[in-house]
Amino acid sequence: MSFLLKIRPLIAAVATASLFGCANDPAPVEQLKLTEQAVTQAGAVGATDDEPDLAKAQAKLTRARADMADKAYKDARMQAEQAELDARLAEARVLTQKSDEQVAQVNARLERLRKQLGASQ
Amino acid sequence: MNAIPRAVSVAMLLASAGLYGCAAHPGSEATLQSASADFQKVKEDTNVLRSAPKDVIRAGELLARAERLSSYIGSADDVSHYAYLSSRYSAIATEHSKLLLNQEKLARLELERQRLQLALREAKLSGAQQQGKWAEDQVISLSTLQTERGLVMTLGDMLFDTGHAELKSSANRTVLKVVQFLQFNPKRVVRIEGYTDSTGDAQENLQLSRDRAQAVADVLADLGIEDERIQVEGYGDQYPVDVNTSERGRAQNRRVEIVFSDEKGHLSAPR
Repeated sequence: MSFLLKIRPLIAAVATASLFGCANDPAPVEQLKLTEQAVTQAGAVGATDDEPDLAKAQAKLTRARADMADKAYKDARMQAEQAELDARLAEARVLTQKSDEQVAQVNARLERLRKQLGASQ
Repeated sequence: MNAIPRAVSVAMLLASAGLYGCAAHPGSEATLQSASADFQKVKEDTNVLRSAPKDVIRAGELLARAERLSSYIGSADDVSHYAYLSSRYSAIATEHSKLLLNQEKLARLELERQRLQLALREAKLSGAQQQGKWAEDQVISLSTLQTERGLVMTLGDMLFDTGHAELKSSANRTVLKVVQFLQFNPKRVVRIEGYTDSTGDAQENLQLSRDRAQAVADVLADLGIEDERIQVEGYGDQYPVDVNTSERGRAQNRRVEIVFSDEKGHLSAPR
């Protein structure tokens, strides 16, 4: 009995910790909106499902919505936060890739111009 | 006697809930380390710092948060989460910096392109002047006709070497005229159509007609006409303008036609 008394604070502490760990977070409504915008934006610049980060973002967004429905708000927030950055990375990758292609195109054109100049001199 | 083991088991249960309930992640340490390495890299890259300072700052803040949390028991999930977010911000910052570098490069290349275009135009102009009057008559097998397809200019066969797609320098004057016309009429667009005679393989003729039309398009583009204003078609030996049974007729059929749109940019449909 005395042992139980002694460890009571410990039980309380652990119980509190586990409560806090999975504490009732507020519903991440704003974050979900942000994530949806980021996914839409990535699609708008031309990211497709072939882009692995966009696929990740979509999968996590789906899970976040399911977590929202289950009222597992912390999980929903984490999934949505990750999905937002996955989507933003996908968007950035696509934009970089496009500008790479543009550079290659202009370089090819410059090459052609130099060749023509060489031929006409 | 009974109470003690029960208390212990309850405590164990709660403790394990604390540790596993919110899922402990053995990988959280690894995630944290790789996030830290990612951040180190972007932090030391002056290009990344210059082009995406906010993303780098966010990566640093999130990493610090993950590191702080890693000293608490039962926070493995949160550590992984914030480390992951930090890594993503580092990656985003890197992409943004690549994009900015490309944009700066494109601006430099564009200047170089304008310089070369100008030089090429001058070279072609002086070439055309040297050829003088004689060349003018020779080269202008070029005729401009108002047809149901619109204004059509024909570049004759002698502007190309047999079987080759490159324009000869004797075409300079004609090409310069077209460029000048398009620059004075900025709304007009053109379709460049290649044709061959019926000698030889149909597939090869089709390719040659396309290549010749493309060669003309390339020269126009090189002299400063925007790509969006130029369409290219190859028709092979279709639509002959003369018989293919005489040498003269075949020479007429080997041609490149430039179809001009009206002043408003309306171009007749391709054949």
